[in-house]
Amino acid sequence: MQQKEITVTNKLGLHARPSALLVKTANNFRSELHIIMDDVEVNGKSIMGVMTLAAARGSRLVLQADGVDEDYLLEEIAKLFESNFSED
Amino acid sequence: MKELSVKELFEKKKKDFALSVITQPRTLNNTISEAQLNRPGMALAGYLDRFSYKRVQMLGETEISYLQTFSDDALYERLKEMFEYGIPCIFITKGLSVPHQMEYLANEMNIALISSRLTTEKLALNLSQYLRNYFAPKRSLHGTLVDVFGVGILITGSSGIGKSECALDLVERGHRLIADDLVKITLQNNTLMGTPARDAGWFMEIRGVGIVDIERMFGIQAVRLRKQIEVQVELMPWRDNMDYERIGLKNNWSSIHGVNIPVIYLPVSPGKNVSVIIEVISMNHILKTFGYDAAEAYTRRLKEEIKRQSRRNR
Repeated sequence: MQQKEITVTNKLGLHARPSALLVKTANNFRSELHIIMDDVEVNGKSIMGVMTLAAARGSRLVLQADGVDEDYLLEEIAKLFESNFSED
Repeated sequence: MKELSVKELFEKKKKDFALSVITQPRTLNNTISEAQLNRPGMALAGYLDRFSYKRVQMLGETEISYLQTFSDDALYERLKEMFEYGIPCIFITKGLSVPHQMEYLANEMNIALISSRLTTEKLALNLSQYLRNYFAPKRSLHGTLVDVFGVGILITGSSGIGKSECALDLVERGHRLIADDLVKITLQNNTLMGTPARDAGWFMEIRGVGIVDIERMFGIQAVRLRKQIEVQVELMPWRDNMDYERIGLKNNWSSIHGVNIPVIYLPVSPGKNVSVIIEVISMNHILKTFGYDAAEAYTRRLKEEIKRQSRRNR
C-alpha cells in the first residue's frame, strides 16, 4: 500500500467537475483508491463518495492506493491536484 | 418526390371534409406534390407572374363573388389562362355553386372541382394539416418506442442488446408499447411523432421464444398507436474505456429530422435492471421539464458546502 498527502489548491475545491475527473482517472487503474479527510474515508472510484468530502481549497487529504499499479495511480492523481484540475 | 393523387385525397377525406365532386370523375386523376394551399385571388385578378399553380387551389365566398363581376367572355378567358398552367385541383368551400364556364373548362382541361360544405377557414385548416402531415419528412429507425409515465422513450442499440426484452419488462410494469424493432418517425410541427412502421398489430420477437402478441397478452392498455419521441436511450455493451455520464450536468443530443432530443448512453450488463433505469430516466426527464434538475441541485449544495469548508480552512 502506498500513501500520499496532498492539499487541495484549486479555487473552487472538489466540486462536481474535478470530482468526476478524479474518479474517471482512478478508474483507469486496477488498484484501489481511498481518500481520507479528517475522520472520513471514501472510495476514490465512487463519485458520490468523493463529492461527500466537499473538500475546499486548503483541505488536506490523504490518498491511499493499494494494488499492482498503486504508484502510477498516486502519481496521476497527484498530478491532477497539482494542475488544479486544469481550472485556475 | 412524394405525390398524392387527388382521387386518394378525395376518397380518404370525403366524409371528414364533406366533399363532393362537381366535375366528371376522370378529372380526379391529377396528382398533388405540394403541401401548401393557394387562394388564387391575385391570379383571378389577372396577375399570373407568381401564380403558385402547383398547389391545391381554394375558392371561398370572396373569390366566387368576385368571379360574378366578370362578363361571360372575360371570365372564360381569365379562367382558361389560369387553368392552362396545370392546376392539380380546386376546392370550393361552403358548398357554393360555380359559374358554368368554370365547370365546362375544368372538365375540358381535366381539373377537378371539389365542393366542400365546410367554411373556408375550417377547410383550409383541416386540408393543410392533412397535406402537411402527408408530405412531412418520414424515416424508419431500428429501435423500440415505449411510453413510460407519459414520456415517449426511443430505445436504440445494436441487434440482440435487449431492446425488445426491455420493452417487454416495461409493458409488464404497466407502460405502453408503440412500436418494436422498427419505428416510423414523422416530423410534425418541430416534434418527432413515432408510430409503428407496419400497421400490423403489436407483435414482438423475443429471442429464444419467437413471436409474441403484446396486445393479446397484456390487453389494449399496454399498447398505443402513436407517441411523441422525447428521449432516446441507447443501450450499449459495457466498455471499460467508455466515458459514461457520472453526474448528469452535461446533456448529449441526438438529431432526428433536425430535431434535437436528449440521448442517454446506457451500459447494460447481466443482472442490471434496465427497465427500472428507464423509468428513472423518464421521471428525471419530467422533473427537468418542470424545472428541477437534480444534478444541478446537488452540485449547488456541494458548492455551498465547499464554501463553508473553505472558511474553516482559513
